[in-house]
Amino acid sequence: MKVLATYSIKGGVGKTTSAVNLAREAAISGSRVLVWDLDPQGAATFLFRIRPKVKGGTERLVSSKGDLLEHVRASDIPGVHVVPADFSLRHLDLHLDGRKRPTERLAALLGGVADRYDIALLDCPPSISLASESVFGAADALLVPVIPTTLSSRTLHQLSMFLATQDHPPALLPYFSMVDGRKRLHRDVMAELRAEWPALLVTQIPSASTIERMGPERAPVGVYAPSSLAAKTFGQLWAEIAARLRT
Amino acid sequence: MGVVSYTGETLPAQHLASALAGAGFVVGRPKLVERTLLDTFDGRLHAAGVRLEVRAGTGLQLIVSGGGPAEAHLVVDRLPSVAGDLPAGPLRARLAPHLDIRALRPTFGVAALQTEAVRRDDSGKAVVGVTLYEDLRVDAGREVSLTWVAEVVPFEGYVRPARQTADLLASLGLTGRDGDILDCLAADAGIDLRGFIDSPTVSLDAAEPAGGGFRRVLANLAGTIVANRQGTIDDIDSEFLHDLRIAVRRTRSILSHGKQVLPPDGRDHFRGEFRWLGAVTSPRRDLDVYLIEWPGYVEPLDPASAAALQPVVHHIAQRRADEHGVLVGHLQSARYDGMLSAWQAWIDDPGGASLAAKRSARPLGPLVVGRIGDAQDQLLLRGRSISPETPAEELHELRKDAKRLRYLLECFGGLLPAAARKPFVQRLKALQDNLGEHQDTEVHTAQLKAMSQELHGSPGVTADTMLAMGRLTEIFDRRRQAARDSFAERFGAYDTKQTARALADLIGAIR
Repeated sequence: MKVLATYSIKGGVGKTTSAVNLAREAAISGSRVLVWDLDPQGAATFLFRIRPKVKGGTERLVSSKGDLLEHVRASDIPGVHVVPADFSLRHLDLHLDGRKRPTERLAALLGGVADRYDIALLDCPPSISLASESVFGAADALLVPVIPTTLSSRTLHQLSMFLATQDHPPALLPYFSMVDGRKRLHRDVMAELRAEWPALLVTQIPSASTIERMGPERAPVGVYAPSSLAAKTFGQLWAEIAARLRT
Repeated sequence: MGVVSYTGETLPAQHLASALAGAGFVVGRPKLVERTLLDTFDGRLHAAGVRLEVRAGTGLQLIVSGGGPAEAHLVVDRLPSVAGDLPAGPLRARLAPHLDIRALRPTFGVAALQTEAVRRDDSGKAVVGVTLYEDLRVDAGREVSLTWVAEVVPFEGYVRPARQTADLLASLGLTGRDGDILDCLAADAGIDLRGFIDSPTVSLDAAEPAGGGFRRVLANLAGTIVANRQGTIDDIDSEFLHDLRIAVRRTRSILSHGKQVLPPDGRDHFRGEFRWLGAVTSPRRDLDVYLIEWPGYVEPLDPASAAALQPVVHHIAQRRADEHGVLVGHLQSARYDGMLSAWQAWIDDPGGASLAAKRSARPLGPLVVGRIGDAQDQLLLRGRSISPETPAEELHELRKDAKRLRYLLECFGGLLPAAARKPFVQRLKALQDNLGEHQDTEVHTAQLKAMSQELHGSPGVTADTMLAMGRLTEIFDRRRQAARDSFAERFGAYDTKQTARALADLIGAIR
């Protein structure tokens, strides 16, 4: 099982949008996918139409008795299962801090389902914290959406510098998100960052009203607009990520 | 909680639909679907607890289940025949180790009119499904008595809605059974989804008359030959011929060991016939092995040399196609049909003189113990006589000795507890691996040299091709020499007190 995390220090960059759409793309490519919503806002949980409830709360889940399988819900996308978020996740740092080797706990929980899924996709909250370090300890790769603006590129630098301090950092797979090709600033920042970050994925997710409809539709784009450019772009993004995972 | 199927004599269709609608289900429109299970001839996926299904409706969709709550789904343009036909990714990675080189084939399928009903919660999330199948038509030339099946499809994490639906159907007087429509109809049609069980081992008793025991072993092997013939002719995959040939070799070996209990006239006749069958199946098998092993053969070569050998691969493939045609002629010949029919009749009733009949009444156990002991003595005697200067033919004879012993242990495995068999077979197998590597590389070296002569000057065969063949010959020769050099050590590891003790434990288990 490969563990991927949609992650950014900055909020509102398209992490959840990516997680939900990439989960569907991975599933239609033949993977068994487990999405773990780690954001107490529970946006991914909402988009999959699943009730935001973790039985026993986060404290029980990260305890030694915790078992991810107890909390798995089938989504309406064949091949995609979800461990939902609930509001108790806001105390994830606190509960991890009370454990021995807190940065290894998420990896241990995912180890319990490693033979049952091919891909685990962790949708992370926008922060850099103990929970983030636990994500870094569990993930094979971080999928980092970057809006082509100065502030977003700055947070990519911050993340890169932080990962450099880790013993076994996950691979960093940044990609442009919410791109508006009509904006000169976006074009300039993308050109600059592509020169600086050769590892940036080629696929870039557009800023599109089709994607914004995910909220009212409560489904991945490919479900309600399968022929849209946005749906095809998420397919290309997954193909690119899958190819990177194979190398 | 898995899928549960409900069936009955008459479908309470309206009753069911109104009951489901009353329970909050939204009932869809009927559509034609086909659901088919795929597996290898010998049921490798079934044995591994993996299920591969193809659903045809608006497109072809592969669904892999087993080993966890989530199914894997993949839309394909055409049915995969072998693992390599699947796109690279987790689904292929999951199936390939089980399939190896075996081909996928439909094992059981159903076409039906399908109506799906789904119940959703307040958020519009599907929490349980009921799928009704009517107008059932099964393939494989089978008939089923069922006329409809309703599946309750639970969703992971939504146990209560599934239970409520099961209660609802029970209240309609329906009874369910675990499994989906394919499980249900396969059981109804009497189809065994385990596939063909290719095992030389049959149930035996040490005290039973030896003649009967030998004949049951031979009948089982005859069944394997018969079962693999059509797949060999149709060239579904190379394992059909491989398994047919192994059964022939085992048959010849058991006939040889049955000298004391089988009537000599028939025995000698059929030994000759199976020698013929073994011989006519060899040329295609040798070329199969070449093609299967080719990627491993050329791996040590640089990419340019490997590419230069393409005309050789093409030549082998062409020769293999030619030899397959010849083989099909033999397997469809009157000689083959007559021989197999006569063989099966002879196994049922070998007749024979009173002396042979008297001998065949001896208890099986002591006879097999004696044959195992003799085979081991023969193996040790020849092995101890082999020095670095001994001609290669003696190693080939030793390989045959080892096979004779191995076949005895496999075919009469019904007398031997698996726990006692394993330690000895592991030791024997280590020796066989060495002898096999030596002989295979020697044969391939000779074949490659012969092919160099055949291909010299042929269109498309360049100097680079000939040079690459030379390099490949050198690789084979080095491997052959390495196997020969390590023989003494391997045989020394076999010819030990521990092996003798393992064999004594094995034989003791029979007594």
